Amino acid sequence: MNGAWNWIWKGGGIVLLAYVILRGFSTPLQPGLVTAAPSQLKLGMQTVTLTAAGQPFGKEGASLSEFTVVLRAGDQLLKTETQEVQPHGITVAVNVPGVLPSRALDAFVFTPSAGTLFLGNACFVEEAAKGDIPASYVANKPDESTPQLGFSFPFQPNIIESIRNLLWHVPMWFSMFFIMGLGFVASLGQLRTGKVMWDLRAEAAVRTGLLFGLLGLATGSLWARWTWGAWWVSDPQLNGALVTVLLYSGYLILRSAMGDDDRVGRLAAVYNVFAFVMLVILLMVLPRYTESLHPGKDGNPGFNKYDLDNSLRAVFYPAVIGWGSLCYWMYTLRLRMNRIAYSLLSR
Amino acid sequence: MALSLRTLRNAWTVARLEWQLEWRQGHQLAAVGLFAIASVYVAFQASDQRTDPASWTAMLWLVYLFSGFTAIGRLFDRERSDVRRYLQWTADPLGLILGKLFHSILTTTALTALVLGAFILFLGWPQGAGELTKPALLVLGAWLGGLSITVTLVFVSAVASQVRAGSGALGAVLGLPLLLPQLILSTRLTRGALSDTPWAILAEYPLFLAAISAGTATLACILFPYIWRA
Repeated sequence: MNGAWNWIWKGGGIVLLAYVILRGFSTPLQPGLVTAAPSQLKLGMQTVTLTAAGQPFGKEGASLSEFTVVLRAGDQLLKTETQEVQPHGITVAVNVPGVLPSRALDAFVFTPSAGTLFLGNACFVEEAAKGDIPASYVANKPDESTPQLGFSFPFQPNIIESIRNLLWHVPMWFSMFFIMGLGFVASLGQLRTGKVMWDLRAEAAVRTGLLFGLLGLATGSLWARWTWGAWWVSDPQLNGALVTVLLYSGYLILRSAMGDDDRVGRLAAVYNVFAFVMLVILLMVLPRYTESLHPGKDGNPGFNKYDLDNSLRAVFYPAVIGWGSLCYWMYTLRLRMNRIAYSLLSR
Repeated sequence: MALSLRTLRNAWTVARLEWQLEWRQGHQLAAVGLFAIASVYVAFQASDQRTDPASWTAMLWLVYLFSGFTAIGRLFDRERSDVRRYLQWTADPLGLILGKLFHSILTTTALTALVLGAFILFLGWPQGAGELTKPALLVLGAWLGGLSITVTLVFVSAVASQVRAGSGALGAVLGLPLLLPQLILSTRLTRGALSDTPWAILAEYPLFLAAISAGTATLACILFPYIWRA
């Protein structure tokens, strides 16, 4: 019975991870607008090209009448004429009037199969005076089509394709929390009973958790470079993460400094309990009270429910379970090593 | 383990003993003072007498941090020999750690006065800070930040003193990561107190620092008996 259960969770974890890697990298991204060129518009007739990322939304030389681009100033719509459609771009001619409700223009691209694409503050018109758009320039709101994109990841401005990192970065921290929690419980057990088995468990847990913490930092750093433009920024969430990794490195240093002193278990357990309480304060409590760039900062240090749609959930939850079971598997291996080393030493 | 009157009396005795020992042994106290004054003087020379608020804050807290290490790092050293055996028979661990924590409050007050005083004497107020509008907040921030540092250091040096070889370096290695959050909060508070940031925005920092101090002190009290019994 026990052996069968072991096969199920280990094999299941590996299957889930294989699914996550396959699905995570092969699922296409929904199309979304990235840039508009030129971004500064003059008055009068000119052309603007909107470029998109993700799945292609058009075919080369597609029927131009199926694609409509509308620029929005304030709450009024400015009409354009579609000139060229490419898989990842659309070029339109626009006649900019001298008066606009707002100098910033948002772009909407109405497509036959990919739904409506949106780019906020796509262009600016410095010279425009404030006022209503003249009637001959105003566009009617086109009909919206329902997108038929199949299984695809949502498009998020700035994040774009890097949204796939969600399946790596976040489960790393979840796994670390899970295994460090296990280590905390083991350390409490050590302090209560003084049994060496609890100490071996705590050591294995901290070692495994530290690895996942380092991987979480590395994947987070990559993501920060892509979205925020720097490998590291000063931010409550990041400070907390770094301190956590340093704290647990301290745990391993303390152990090795003690050598074969027989008080190592108790002292390490004391330090580990202290470290875990600090970890909870640093990563769960403090970031909620300070401003941060990290997603979902208003009361929750993760993505909020509107950022995760169903297609992402279908891969994200298996990723959490898969990484978690891999982490626990690594912990059991380390624990077995610790037990063998201990029984050899105490023979 | 329960907090009784006897424990408190014990704690008071330990705190008084610590203070008397500091006072009689002289060199400990002089070492901290010399360290603090000398580092402030290095800061004074290095900054060429012109500092902006950010670097003033950075230097203040670096000096404070290492003065704290010097003052608290050896707190459990004398419990390594015969004195330890004596205390193990007479004082209960809770009383002992409470006594050390009381002592750290006193140390914090002395350190704050010393370091801030030396900074104002040598470096003066940072330039570009304009009129100093919140001196009380500056002093309160320095004291609370210092307290959160020394309380954590008491725990760290208790752990480090149990390790036979090289506990001095180990204390620094274990202590620095534990002190990062306190230092981040303290430096922000000091920078805010020097600038024209309104009180209302800064008010949560002293609260956080006080909460961290109280939390670490409680944890130290819970966990210290396990170290002591070992």
